Amino acid sequence: MKLSKRYLLRRIWRYRALYIFILPAVVWYVIFCYIPMYGLALGFKEFHFNLSIWDSPWAGMRYFNQFINDRMFWPLLQNTVIISVLKMVIGFPAPIILALMINEVSNKYFKKTIQTVTYLPYFVSWVVCIAVLVKFISPHDGIINNILVNVFHKDAVYFMGEKNWFYPLVLFTDIWKNVGWNSIVYLSALSGIDQQLYEAASIDGAGKWKSMLHITLPNIMPTACILFLLNIGNLLKAGYEQIILLKTPGNSALSMILDTQIIQQGIQQGRYEYATVAGLFQSVIGLILVIIVNKITKKLAEVSLW
Amino acid sequence: MMRKNKMQISTILNYSALCLLGIITLYPFIYILVLSFNDGYDTLKGGIYFWPREITLDNYIKVFQDGNILNAYGITIFRTVIGTLMGIVMCSMLAFALAFKDMPGRRFIVFFFFFTTIFSGGMIPYYILLRQLKLTQSIWVYVLPQLYNFFNIMLLRTYFETIPESIGESARIDGCGYSRVFLQMFLPLSKPVLATIMLFFGVAHWNEWFTGAYYVQNKDLFPVATLLQNILNEATFESATFDATKMNTGIATAMSSTTPESLKMAFIMVMTLPILCVYPFLQKYFVKGIMIGSVKG
Repeated sequence: MKLSKRYLLRRIWRYRALYIFILPAVVWYVIFCYIPMYGLALGFKEFHFNLSIWDSPWAGMRYFNQFINDRMFWPLLQNTVIISVLKMVIGFPAPIILALMINEVSNKYFKKTIQTVTYLPYFVSWVVCIAVLVKFISPHDGIINNILVNVFHKDAVYFMGEKNWFYPLVLFTDIWKNVGWNSIVYLSALSGIDQQLYEAASIDGAGKWKSMLHITLPNIMPTACILFLLNIGNLLKAGYEQIILLKTPGNSALSMILDTQIIQQGIQQGRYEYATVAGLFQSVIGLILVIIVNKITKKLAEVSLW
Repeated sequence: MMRKNKMQISTILNYSALCLLGIITLYPFIYILVLSFNDGYDTLKGGIYFWPREITLDNYIKVFQDGNILNAYGITIFRTVIGTLMGIVMCSMLAFALAFKDMPGRRFIVFFFFFTTIFSGGMIPYYILLRQLKLTQSIWVYVLPQLYNFFNIMLLRTYFETIPESIGESARIDGCGYSRVFLQMFLPLSKPVLATIMLFFGVAHWNEWFTGAYYVQNKDLFPVATLLQNILNEATFESATFDATKMNTGIATAMSSTTPESLKMAFIMVMTLPILCVYPFLQKYFVKGIMIGSVKG
């Protein structure tokens, strides 16, 4: 016991220089990540500008109740969850399909070109993406409306201002921006599959469809699980950058999400306690979901984040 | 025979679907590019899709004459250069240390960093922290809070782990400290992954607009991305009446060949082109980087 303790100390001493490498990171993480976590206490306090969060008096559950009982609570939660679930159900399989399609391509140059092109929107800011889109679908001079009016003789549609077009726009921009980038991991999973499996399957009489179902899909499952796990914690965030940029007065009934409320009520109107509770709610639900889904994927696919 | 035909049809379908996707991805940018090189008033007549009709550089010249935009560019370039450099140095130092499997407490330290990716204090406590650190009035708000990134750290560490630990250990026995092993052996061996991280940090800094839009009040501190978001925001709010105002300003400035819209197109392109010139050349590296990272989980 004593010996092993001395051995441990010796090891620590041996790596002392490396701990100095790590020290700035620990300090940074404490300041920029762990102090805000402590700052969540603000949700149960009465915030005074001249006092620190520590010194501010306790308010108990007042702001928590205010948040839960607010008439906006259910609409906000509903909007947020619907956007997230839509993205998961429709947006999640898109890169898998794209990876399968790219994998079928035998021409090397075509393959590389299509990959380069589809990565482009990922590297461009959401602001630019939405600005490009807004121009493209503008009711006055956008190309889509030009076609609608001149070719199909329909009325121009103000896509950004109409509620009914909000979800299609969210899904389209989400897939458009991320599908290429997200397909990279699936492509790497696909390239890791032993080609002999396919040969054996075709000798056994399995068609393309069958070998995809029994060989390809099981092999990319672990990758899909990891990505799903990384996404699920953000369920109540719903990709807020995109939503903020797509939000207009016309679609705000659907585009009001928890984060837009936090910005509006908290940062812009100074209701810090209420907005902190909203953030706490997001974080706690997110953490719980990650833990639960991690348990499930660990059992089903032996995939775990930790 | 039947079977072969079927195969060919599916191949053709596959190629055409991918081509279509490529067009959908690329064309909106081409459209903006074309409009940005076209005379603003000529654009109002419509009908420009693939090639500018009245080619002009006026839009770009005007964009670069605007004091606000130039100032915003200064901010963006500063944060991109300084933020990327500092980020690479700090993250690779940390990742180097974490690559030594034998170091006591390694698992706990990694968990300490990892936990922040699944739980956070949220926007408001973070905002209050920035205010208390007086960062909301400083250009460093764009650099300091973005120094470390867990994903990038893990990418670097995974790469460093592929370098045999014995190289580091034997160099140490020869009298080198860890810092010299890091600088003279690990970094030169890691150029591909460093290029990848440089791209990730650079793009993130270049594109980030949120901090400027909501945490910073001083308009002189806005980066270009935030400025574009402001312009976009105004445009969508006024969209119903935008046409009329555009016509009015059109009469007032009939001498000029630019419109607010055509300037916006040029502005969007100046934000996009630098990225366009960088990422295709690093594709080989970042694809490999993502693949290494994903294999290790």
